[in-house]
Amino acid sequence: MENRDRRKFLGVCLGGIASASIAAVAYPLFRYLSPIPEQENSGKVTFQESDIPEGEAKFFQYAGSAAVLIKNKEQGVIALSAVCTHLGCIVQWQKERGEFLCPCHAGRYTAQGLVISGPPPKPLQPLHVSIANGTITIG
Amino acid sequence: MSLYKNIDNWLDVRLGTHSLIEKELTGYLLPRNINAWYSLGSVLLFIFSLQIVTGILLLIYYVPDADKAFASVTMIMNRVPFGWLVRMCHVVGSNMMVLILLFHMLSVLFMGSYKSPRELNWLSGFILFNLVMAISLTGYLLPWSQLSYWATTVATNSVGAIPFIGSYLVEFLRGGKLVGPPTLGRFFALHVAVIPITIAAFVGIHLVLLQRIGVSTPPFGLKETKSNWRGDTFRYEEHPGGIPFFPNYLLQDMTSIMLYLALFFAVLFFDPYLFLPKDAFIPADPFLTPAHIKPEWYFLPNYQTLKLFPSEFLGLAVQGAAMTFLALLPFIDRGTEKHPLKRPLFMACSIGGILLWIGLAIWGHFS
Repeated sequence: MENRDRRKFLGVCLGGIASASIAAVAYPLFRYLSPIPEQENSGKVTFQESDIPEGEAKFFQYAGSAAVLIKNKEQGVIALSAVCTHLGCIVQWQKERGEFLCPCHAGRYTAQGLVISGPPPKPLQPLHVSIANGTITIG
Repeated sequence: MSLYKNIDNWLDVRLGTHSLIEKELTGYLLPRNINAWYSLGSVLLFIFSLQIVTGILLLIYYVPDADKAFASVTMIMNRVPFGWLVRMCHVVGSNMMVLILLFHMLSVLFMGSYKSPRELNWLSGFILFNLVMAISLTGYLLPWSQLSYWATTVATNSVGAIPFIGSYLVEFLRGGKLVGPPTLGRFFALHVAVIPITIAAFVGIHLVLLQRIGVSTPPFGLKETKSNWRGDTFRYEEHPGGIPFFPNYLLQDMTSIMLYLALFFAVLFFDPYLFLPKDAFIPADPFLTPAHIKPEWYFLPNYQTLKLFPSEFLGLAVQGAAMTFLALLPFIDRGTEKHPLKRPLFMACSIGGILLWIGLAIWGHFS
């Protein structure tokens, strides 16, 4: 009986050491493979107002994702996430129609990002825009 | 318990696992007087696996581009969580692999395991030794530091001493007149694809040969230490009354691997830059050769030999002759005696050779 207790104790010790070793390998491995956080510059993107022509769209990186800025006579400056809400493709700006088109499944959005037709379930996510002294700030 | 039994039975009916385990593990008998030196092969297999795993992990962040390689290695060391650990495991592991490989070869030499009928095993092992040197050399360039750049310049340059084709061969190896971006490309391909696959293939051959011929009996603790192999027919060397591989010798293998890991982690955590001189932390500059550029410790004897001879060709020829002698040793040393103390000529030559090698390494280090 005493022998069996000893055997059990040693087995538990061995199991404990093995688990600790696996954890000591698995944790660094997980951290190594995890995405490295971006070095963020206060999360704001700025443009000069004069750099963006009327009716044109400017695509840029915002918070690690794609965003688009358009300048219209009617609505002024609008910033939207450029990620289609259907399956995550990047929408295209169709200047002559004044619409966004997602090339993947033909989703159409207005210049404000509202769904006109096609599969997108939600409008494009709007981003906060402020203009001061000819500088457009997003975020 | 019954689930385990069911799975075990299911597999046995389909694959005959019980007889396979009996044949290869529990019933596979090794000589009674087998010693710990025989486990170095398993340790090497373990190190090689570790090098593959850490190497694949490094590939995730490493960029094989002369403009970006150094920065990517710096990023692995400084920004990637535990990147330093993965990289230092790979660096220290490569040095340890060469060290353990040398011990493995020495044990085979001193216990006479290379002798007939195991010439092919020795030859495949010798090729593995050269491949490990080659993978170390090609890996050395990849961080694109001053150290790697100039060590590669010197190493590739020595090939130039071969008459007639030497200068073309140097250019061919480098992919250009000097070590540069084309060199990085070809060394990268060799280091991560060509040589690892070749090593894996030769490890397979090495193990198949071992399995086919049988483990050689160590000469220690026996009255009769001569090999009684006649050389007329194939004979598998059986060891009736020996110890089973599983669990007995596997435990020795595990013990040796644990001892190795203790040594490995001691270097890794207490002196990680043991094998990395200062020049390993400076980006490569093709217009500035640093002072006292030296190769890795295991190339120091070769480096010193090249410096000793008046002509580079002579230095290279001597090394080539020494390596050829080592490769063909089982064909030259045809005696059947395996005990080192009963082979005085062998003992004198091998100990002399080892002392010469160590002496040249020390001389090379301090010169």
